[in-house]
Amino acid sequence: MSPDRSSGSTTGSSGATAPPRPGELLVDGAWKRFRGDRRARSLMREGPAGLRRKRGYRWALRDIQIHVAPGEAVGLVGSNGSGKSTLLKLLTQVMDPYAGTVRVGGSVGALIEIQAGLHPELTGRDNVFLYGAFLGIPRVEVARHFDEIVAFAEIDAAIDRQVKFYSSGMKMRLSFAVAATLEPDVLLVDEVLAVGDASFQQRCLDRLRRSIDDGTSLVFVSHDLAAVQSITERTVWLDQGTVHTDGTTADVLGAYRRAVEERARSGEQVGPLRVRFDGARGPDATLPTGGRPVELSLTISTDVARRGALILGVSDGPPSPIVVVRREVDLPAESTTATVTLHDLPLGRGRYAVWVAFHDTTGDELLAWRPLADIDVGGSDLDAPPPGVSRQAPVHVAADWRIGS
Amino acid sequence: MPTSTITIPVPSADDEPGSPAIPSPSSGAADDVRSPTEPPSGARYRRPLTPWRAVRDVARSGELLRALTTREYRARYTQTVLGMTWAVITPVLLMVAFVVFVQRAITVDTQGQPYALFAYLGLLPWAFFSTSLSRGGTILVLESSLLNKVRCPREVFPLSTVAVAAIDFAVSCGVLALLFLGFRTLPSAQIVWVPVILLVQIAFTLGLVFVTAILVVYVRDVGQAIPLLLQFGLFATPVAYGIDAIPDGIRSLYAAINPLVGVISAYRSCLLFGEPPPWNVFGPSAASAVVWLVGGYVLFKRFEGGIADVA
Repeated sequence: MSPDRSSGSTTGSSGATAPPRPGELLVDGAWKRFRGDRRARSLMREGPAGLRRKRGYRWALRDIQIHVAPGEAVGLVGSNGSGKSTLLKLLTQVMDPYAGTVRVGGSVGALIEIQAGLHPELTGRDNVFLYGAFLGIPRVEVARHFDEIVAFAEIDAAIDRQVKFYSSGMKMRLSFAVAATLEPDVLLVDEVLAVGDASFQQRCLDRLRRSIDDGTSLVFVSHDLAAVQSITERTVWLDQGTVHTDGTTADVLGAYRRAVEERARSGEQVGPLRVRFDGARGPDATLPTGGRPVELSLTISTDVARRGALILGVSDGPPSPIVVVRREVDLPAESTTATVTLHDLPLGRGRYAVWVAFHDTTGDELLAWRPLADIDVGGSDLDAPPPGVSRQAPVHVAADWRIGS
Repeated sequence: MPTSTITIPVPSADDEPGSPAIPSPSSGAADDVRSPTEPPSGARYRRPLTPWRAVRDVARSGELLRALTTREYRARYTQTVLGMTWAVITPVLLMVAFVVFVQRAITVDTQGQPYALFAYLGLLPWAFFSTSLSRGGTILVLESSLLNKVRCPREVFPLSTVAVAAIDFAVSCGVLALLFLGFRTLPSAQIVWVPVILLVQIAFTLGLVFVTAILVVYVRDVGQAIPLLLQFGLFATPVAYGIDAIPDGIRSLYAAINPLVGVISAYRSCLLFGEPPPWNVFGPSAASAVVWLVGGYVLFKRFEGGIADVA
């Protein structure tokens, strides 16, 4: 495939610059707007005036500046509606920006939805070649990789079955296998891995990592921050259509997680229960430390007497906790302090979130599962898992090694 | 009773590094300071539209066009019992209908040639045109999910539908050969004109498909109107009748407005009557077809950039 196959062009005041190298993504001052929502435009109802009525605009992206070097893997995070998908559409060049330029060097493989490019009436085999054609890859080249694709997708005999009879996992595996195996210069992956089972997800991540090592650039969109962390070194955080932060994945995801928790916490605390975090202490009022006991204290206030389960958890960000403790309690109609001591806190050094919930005896959620506060934990660092593993090993266990005969 | 809600604890010791400042997630005011609310004037993106680039794009999508055409063709006939026979059934059945009904109702001057051949020669280009337009006119909307994900020159979609219609056309041409054998008639030496007529037929069809396809994306009403227009066109085009039914004075003008008039009469002249194409009719049609093709393609390229915004 020729390097400038899908290259855009320079416009406006930026003047002529060199075309992007294969695998290079250059987004310069890109803006994108969509027409404002309209009520049904109907000649019958509104007459000609309805057709002339001006509609407003909303900006989906504002002044986006992102450069990705060939072979670089970049994560893209942000809350729903922050412009991630629009940015990906600009990068695939199915959409033009309103202003600014988007230039992409080389062939672009986009995994934006499971069925991207799969035609339901055709067999898997036909679809492989069709997809290759969309990537601009010659038929002979696709044929050369065909067995590899089928093997990776674990499709086997079903390759000659019409795709409409595939399960969604099979569709996802097939399109991922094609896009990853044919190694386009740029791969755009949007939240597609969620469909596959865990072992396939892991193989996908491994494959992506290999493609990156072979020089493919990757833009990886996911709400699964652990997956982003495992595959990218750099992450861009989009917020309300602008680049909020662009930096190393560890820094950006840390800040992003805290912001998400912050937002969840700052939400109006409604309901019959109020909870205040009174701090976390190690023995002798020191800072909590991994491998040592820690004491978490909180104060719960209620207007009427309650009985139910107090659930307390520690998480490294997402709502799924690493550690959970649960206790049936009777709360009188006033403030109650609760203190729990966790023996041998199994965490590595870092910042964690304390989550809390309260369910009464009938199962009603009096306090929904929510982050309560951050705690900083000292101690040893966690050992790093092998590259490409989507879950960081979150628990610290003291270990003794014996190596050799 | 204490009414304090949630407080963030401040670690007593400050010996823990690695806790950077927490950026606010929704700092609307800060965003406004950092970036303007409108792009600077003069930074507007303009999709480059040069003939050279357009030709290069199409030339490079040969592989994709072939794959799409195959896909379209296979997808159309999978799970049908008759398969490709359907490409033949449609014009043949219409021909039978014409022979049985139209021929009884009106007298058509076929210059002594069998009416079945006469009608079939009209139906062939018509079927090509009608298949192309009915499928190609709505193809961009039908494929909108694909268009939203995969980058390719958009014209490959209308092109592939016309290519599929061309395959059908080729198949039904085989039937035409059988008809000629059956009626023991031989096409005259004027058959050399057929490639030229074919080009005009394709140019006009393609041009109209380009215009319709891009219009339907922005004004969906056009899609609803296509079947109606096709029914109307079958009567407005000399398919069942001959060119002589159109008054002499407006014949050239009419052929320019509806290039199929020139195409069909030229086919009949060359293959059936042994005459060269009637230039007073075919000339305007050919000129008009070229205008349709160029104009339609320019219009298509001009508006293809917004397809993903509305589709």
